Amino acid sequence: MLIMSRREGETILIGDDIEIVIAHIGRSRVKVGIRAPREVTVIARELQLVRDQNLAAAGVEPSPGVLSGLIARLQPGVGPPRS
Amino acid sequence: MPSFETKNFGPIPYQPEAVLKFPCGLPGFEDRRRFLALNLEDKKPLLFLQSLDDPGLCFITMPVLNVDPAYRLEISENDLDLLGLPTGRQPQIGQEVLCLAIVSLEEGGPTANLLAPIVVNLSNLVAVQAIAEESDYSHRQPLLCEEYAVC
Repeated sequence: MLIMSRREGETILIGDDIEIVIAHIGRSRVKVGIRAPREVTVIARELQLVRDQNLAAAGVEPSPGVLSGLIARLQPGVGPPRS
Repeated sequence: MPSFETKNFGPIPYQPEAVLKFPCGLPGFEDRRRFLALNLEDKKPLLFLQSLDDPGLCFITMPVLNVDPAYRLEISENDLDLLGLPTGRQPQIGQEVLCLAIVSLEEGGPTANLLAPIVVNLSNLVAVQAIAEESDYSHRQPLLCEEYAVC
C-alpha cells in the first residue's frame, strides 16, 4: 500500500479526475474531502459492511425450527458481552 | 384499520400511527422507508421489522440491551439530526429511543449487528440504522456463546 504524508489542506490526485483533500486534522479523526466523477461510488467502509450484512440478513428465510431454537437458547439470559 | 399482506405472517392489520418512518431507508434498502415492528408474544425477545413497501422484506431483530446489557450508543450528529433528537448528547435507550440489532442467521451461528443498530425516536417514530463510526462494536457479534452451542 502506498502511504503518503500530507498536511491539512493538501491534496492527493488519483488518476486524472479524482482528488482527495485533507480538509481537517483533529485529535483522533481526519476530515477528508473527495472530488470524483459522479459514476465513481465513494462510501465509508463501515457502510459497505452494514449494507452487505443487511442484504445477507434479509436474504435468509428462517424455518420455524431455526427460529424457535434460537429463541429457546436466548431465553436463559443474554448473549455474551463483547470482548 | 389498514391491513398489509406479508409473505411470512399473512395479513397484518396495523395502526397507521404505529408505522416506523426511515427517511433514508436502510443501507442496501434505501427505498424501503416504512416498517412495522412486530412484537409477537411467542417470539420474544425477537422482534420483527416488517417492510410495508415489500411483503417479503422482514428483518429479525432484538433489543441491543438483550445482546449486550452495557451497550453504549454512539449515534453521529447527522443521525441525531435525522431522528429529530438533540445533538451533543446520546439519547437514553428505552426512554427516548428504541434500539434494535439486526440478527443474521449465519451458518456459523446467529449474529447481531451491534455496529449499526436500528434507532427509533419513540416520540415521532422516525428511525435510522445508525452506523457507529468510532466504535469497536462488531457488525457480526455472535449471539450464542460457545458454551451454549455445545449444551
